[in-house]
Amino acid sequence: ALDLSSSRKPKRKDWTKLIYTTELTPEQILNGDKQEAEDIQPEDDDDFFKVKAKFVEIDDVADRAKESPDTEGLKKWEDEDLLEELKRLFITGTDET
Amino acid sequence: MAQPTSLIQYSGHEHFRSRVVLSILSGRHVKIDRIRSEDKNPGLRDFEVSFLRLVEKVTNGTIIEISVTGSAILVKPGIIAGGPVQHECPLSRSIGYFLEPVIMMAPFSKRPLLLTLKGITTDEHDLSVDLLRTVTLPHLQFFGISDGLELRIKKRGSPPNGGGEVQFLCPVVKQVKTINFTDAGKIKRIRGIAHAVRVSPQFSNRMIEASRSVLNRYIPDIYLYSDVYKGEESGKSPGYALSLLAESTTGALHCSEALSEPGVVPEDIALKATRALLSEIERGGCVDRQHQILVLLLMVLGSEDVGKVLMGEPTLRTIQFLRDVKDFFGTSFKIISANSSDPECKQLVFSCYGTGYINSNRTLA
Repeated sequence: ALDLSSSRKPKRKDWTKLIYTTELTPEQILNGDKQEAEDIQPEDDDDFFKVKAKFVEIDDVADRAKESPDTEGLKKWEDEDLLEELKRLFITGTDET
Repeated sequence: MAQPTSLIQYSGHEHFRSRVVLSILSGRHVKIDRIRSEDKNPGLRDFEVSFLRLVEKVTNGTIIEISVTGSAILVKPGIIAGGPVQHECPLSRSIGYFLEPVIMMAPFSKRPLLLTLKGITTDEHDLSVDLLRTVTLPHLQFFGISDGLELRIKKRGSPPNGGGEVQFLCPVVKQVKTINFTDAGKIKRIRGIAHAVRVSPQFSNRMIEASRSVLNRYIPDIYLYSDVYKGEESGKSPGYALSLLAESTTGALHCSEALSEPGVVPEDIALKATRALLSEIERGGCVDRQHQILVLLLMVLGSEDVGKVLMGEPTLRTIQFLRDVKDFFGTSFKIISANSSDPECKQLVFSCYGTGYINSNRTLA
């Protein structure tokens, strides 16, 4: 996992390695390994007790089969050219793109 | 290698069902702690408790201990018994939530399973009973599970009050076949089921028309069916939905669906389902995203041979599932690009060596 940050150019993911040999969360694997710098707050030694900022709202339905609909992502299908381009995946379409 | 009885531990409420299923199938004990321990209302939800009850009914000798606060559980798996089982699903999740994990275990029962589930038949979180019937069950056929496999939709039930009822019949197998499915083929037909309960039956037709306005350009073989349920059979709440599936020349299935929302016209619901189907087709592969884990699980349980499947990128759920499978069965997959010369290629080939899982619960006829 050392060369992950050094090579900037888009490189194909090594899924086998990412899944089985790293400690990255599934989110980090899918969305790239972004360091969450803003979450790390400076240690404040004055307060002995720390009150948790707030109760975390936990997503009750995390264990689900369908992902939440990607309304923004679906908007691209309003584009006539894209719709035409997809014809290549149907038996009636041709292979040339 | 770990002892077969050694305990596997997880934290958190995510991936709850698949971990319980893997425990039952592998016979290994599993402990899950810190279930929503940071939440203002900590512990298991009613649907998770209900799922554990269902697991107890489907199996024999399973011991499930839940801590006083409900934020930790211990599962000591018994055998998968099958036979006739009835279960009332809570209204917080749809029948799909409960049926999906049962489908993973049922082929390895002692006796064929005849499961009756009551509750909500379509919701936004899990696969509707229509897609489970038309898409999930055909996936089992790739692995040689077919004769007597059936899902009957007796009554429909929309959220919030449900009132639906389905019957799931599943045969038992001794062993599942190894799959070799790396040719995605081309889409040759599209099927769809539109249903509208306790609202104007015209809504189905309006959804079908809107969906066709996009799909007609692609292929002539499109059949969108308006499924009518009346009176008692239509459940307790109004609602409508469109479920779509596309089948390729090699039998790959891609699916999508959308259900009614307040203040949205049926045409927009249909377009949402249709565009989601196009996205699914565009992603390609032989298995759509909702069915990745089912196919991967059956590959692990396959005979001692190398199984191969072409898929798009794994989902979050799939990534964690692959790690969990390794914990339970010791099997890891080889995941390589389908076309190593093309850096843009997002298609992946998943391959693994089957564990040669034998259904030892099965009674000999």
